[in-house]
Amino acid sequence: MEWRYRDTGVGWAEEIGTYGPLPRAVGVDTRSGAQLVTSADVRGADPGDGRISTPSDVRGPARPSEAVVRPSSALPPLAPDRGHPEPDWSEVVEHFREGLVVCDPDGVVRHLSPVAERLLPEVAQGRPLTAAGVPGLRSGGPGEFAHHGRRLRIRAMPLSGGRSCHYVEDVTESVTRADALLAERARSAFLAVVGEKLGNPLHPDRAAAAVVRLAVPTLAEVAVLVLAPRSGRARWWRASRADDEAAAVDSGVLSATALPPAIAEGLSGVEPHAVDWLVEQAVDAGWLPGLEASEVVARVLPLPGREAPAGALLVARRATRWYDEDDVELVRAFAARAGAALTTAVLYRDQAEVADTLQASLLPVEPITVAGVQWGTAYRPAQASLRIGGDFYGSHRLPDGGSVFFLGDVSGKGVEAAVFTGQLRQCLQALHRVESHPGRLLKLLNDALLETTQAHGQGRFATMVLGVVRPQRDGALTLTMAGGGHLPPLVLRASGEVEAVPLSGMLIGVVPDPRIGEVTVRLEPGETCLLYSDGVTEARGGRRGDEQFGHERLVHAVTGCHRVPAPALAERVEQVTCDWLAHGDHDDIAVLALRATGPGGRPPRHLHAVPAAGGPAEQRETRQ
Amino acid sequence: MTAPTQADPAQAYAQFLEALAEADEYAAIDVASRLLDARVPAERVLLDLVAPAQAEVGERWARNEWSVAQEHAATHISERVVAAVAAQANPRPTRGRVVVACMDGEWHALPPRLVAEVLRLRGWQVTFLGASVPAAHLVSYLHRHDAHAVALACALPMRLPHAHRMIEACRRSDVPVVVGGRGFGDDGRWARTLGVAWAPDAPTAADLVADERALRRVRPAELPHLADDEYAGLVKRRGELIDSALADLRERVPAVEHYTPAQLDSTISDLGYIVDFLAAALYVDDDSLFTDFVDWLAQILSSRGVPSGAVGLTLGHYHRLLRDFPRAGRFLALGKARVAARRDTVRG
Repeated sequence: MEWRYRDTGVGWAEEIGTYGPLPRAVGVDTRSGAQLVTSADVRGADPGDGRISTPSDVRGPARPSEAVVRPSSALPPLAPDRGHPEPDWSEVVEHFREGLVVCDPDGVVRHLSPVAERLLPEVAQGRPLTAAGVPGLRSGGPGEFAHHGRRLRIRAMPLSGGRSCHYVEDVTESVTRADALLAERARSAFLAVVGEKLGNPLHPDRAAAAVVRLAVPTLAEVAVLVLAPRSGRARWWRASRADDEAAAVDSGVLSATALPPAIAEGLSGVEPHAVDWLVEQAVDAGWLPGLEASEVVARVLPLPGREAPAGALLVARRATRWYDEDDVELVRAFAARAGAALTTAVLYRDQAEVADTLQASLLPVEPITVAGVQWGTAYRPAQASLRIGGDFYGSHRLPDGGSVFFLGDVSGKGVEAAVFTGQLRQCLQALHRVESHPGRLLKLLNDALLETTQAHGQGRFATMVLGVVRPQRDGALTLTMAGGGHLPPLVLRASGEVEAVPLSGMLIGVVPDPRIGEVTVRLEPGETCLLYSDGVTEARGGRRGDEQFGHERLVHAVTGCHRVPAPALAERVEQVTCDWLAHGDHDDIAVLALRATGPGGRPPRHLHAVPAAGGPAEQRETRQ
Repeated sequence: MTAPTQADPAQAYAQFLEALAEADEYAAIDVASRLLDARVPAERVLLDLVAPAQAEVGERWARNEWSVAQEHAATHISERVVAAVAAQANPRPTRGRVVVACMDGEWHALPPRLVAEVLRLRGWQVTFLGASVPAAHLVSYLHRHDAHAVALACALPMRLPHAHRMIEACRRSDVPVVVGGRGFGDDGRWARTLGVAWAPDAPTAADLVADERALRRVRPAELPHLADDEYAGLVKRRGELIDSALADLRERVPAVEHYTPAQLDSTISDLGYIVDFLAAALYVDDDSLFTDFVDWLAQILSSRGVPSGAVGLTLGHYHRLLRDFPRAGRFLALGKARVAARRDTVRG
């Protein structure tokens, strides 16, 4: 930039030379006897504000010179060679928007234009400029400063002979406009951040903490949020900022009767106006530690809620920054967003409480303890946020020391399917007391479900494996299982072999008197029976995400796991299935494993000394 | 068996490993209980007995001394021990709620479980959500329960892009996050890239959780390199890349023709892991993420009788296919150099 400017300067000098004589006196005041300011003074000096970058720009500040020197110009009234009288420069200068202060080499003011006199009344002709005591004048460089309530922009330019000229401009208007624009932008940006942070449904306590944290430092040094009292108690959150650190948040509880009156007023929807009185109350409540009432300004605003306000927000800061109308407007906009966020949070919590209670009743219950049986379970519903689905498992104790166990899948997905599993489990809960033979119990269940679904016109059905496990004296387990159209279980033998149990049967809840398969399996100590839902074998994944996991892969995944405890086996099945899915969508997944622990509940020891069967390449699996 | 009063830590460690090797839950719990009886603090039992033993279990699997099944069994026993230690210590919660969970897809639940128990011992009310927690599940939990902080574990760097999404989801619920696990790099450098607080171990995690200001004082994520779309482009081409790499292997390595379906599956998994680690390296823009993985994969494969040259072949194949991906190309070239250097060392 600089080199371009200098270049142009030289070019001009040549130009001027070509066009003839220069106006010798472009001086500002001939009467004062001060040395004249030559056109060269004006042109050669750097206005210093960085605005000048192109030749055409350069011409602007150089003011009259162009018109003066160009004889071909259409408006040459000031050119002395046309024979017109030399203009009265003092007259011209009076109408400049900028004020001019010309100093001699000693810094004594030699000339003062009327505008400069008005803007800088302290500056007097014939006295040193520094004697005026205006700090903004001392720096010498270009700058802006506040003076008598105006915003002044000043730039100093050296003139020939060691003299200098200060150009002073009143930029109050434009600065005010720019400031207002910047402030408006800052407010919008702040509200955008607030909207983003409070836009998600939050836990009500989180939302309250987020509200006060966001209010500091933009709106306040200390912000206190008091929630509308519930059962006579009002909870409050406070954010305060001691240093440049992030705001610290704390909270507490007040009795609804002990609330400061201004807060109570705010909670009733009124914006209290008695500001001093308010600060005293906040100090009394202990919310403004380390601050004297006299040095603080505060405001209280209601946070709009559904019917009554959701809470009241107190903002306080040092009296050096008063809350003007714009500030209050901003706090109000903030309060509106905060109120909406709190209302959403409370609404969400109330609904979540109901949903939680219902969900908890539909979640599978962990199997009951049975001597000689180690249970392992895994459950992963299709809709992760719902946590319940159409798969189910469970167990009930039998009076003879055995246990009924089951795993199944109802048609459909999501809440409706989960509700149906609830009905089904309720039925089983009641029916196992009258019938403990698996096949007959499953038929009873079929009749009961058929009746319910026909009555409700639902047309729902289930597939399931239902069995009875009875511990034997030698530590083995006898499993009698009935099949209702479900995938047959696998048995992991002590030899390492994985067997599919031959179990077939028809869907439950579709036809009266369905064909139910039945099979009895003996598990020696250390052997495991694995029940799983079709969410495992029908999981879609692989290279393209469309290949089914399938029976073969499941068998391979559990081969060599015959010494693994039942919970770890169930988790392994869940893991290989989910790895296969690789974040893809899936059906509900349920796994139930029963392991014979042997007599005394202790699994046989020294089982791990032998490495598992299978070639090295087959055991590869990436785990770190 | 040593005397039941024995509580020498070094001896206890050897006994504990033996119990894990034999999948003997009761013997393992006995070892831990004896230490507790000898007034060794519960936190020390968890961190000086269970944690190093679990690291050793991982090493043994990596050296192909233990099968996946053995590793699963040992991990299960360790979990039972942690539960037993926790039950015996039974601390009373005096502080807020902290949620501990594994990232979605992350199954190494024992390290975060140890963090959870250390936090519990320090008075926090801890909810441990377990292995592979879907983001939606975690977020809905955070909406329903006021949590002071969330601790998330990630053992594999390949899950970093998912981890980042999960961290952001927690942030949107206005709950501060601390992460841990080898997935973020030994020095936590990828946690810094993702703009999240990181703890190298359970005590540091507990200290961080206790300092809310430190938790909230994190620099924003530095991911300007994502603008080149290489990460997104690679993820989109994942299936195509694996198919093509498999075809290439079939052509160059005749043995592949005779692979069992299971061998084929694990080969496909490995080809996928290479793409996933490459994608994660692109995500955090760090070649060391990829080259460290290549080193590790070559080591794992050679301990299982697969020559590391096969890895080099596939890296070269991906390099040719990803001509338009300058960053990925650079990472692959560095990976190939690592494999070559490895072969030279083996020969020398």
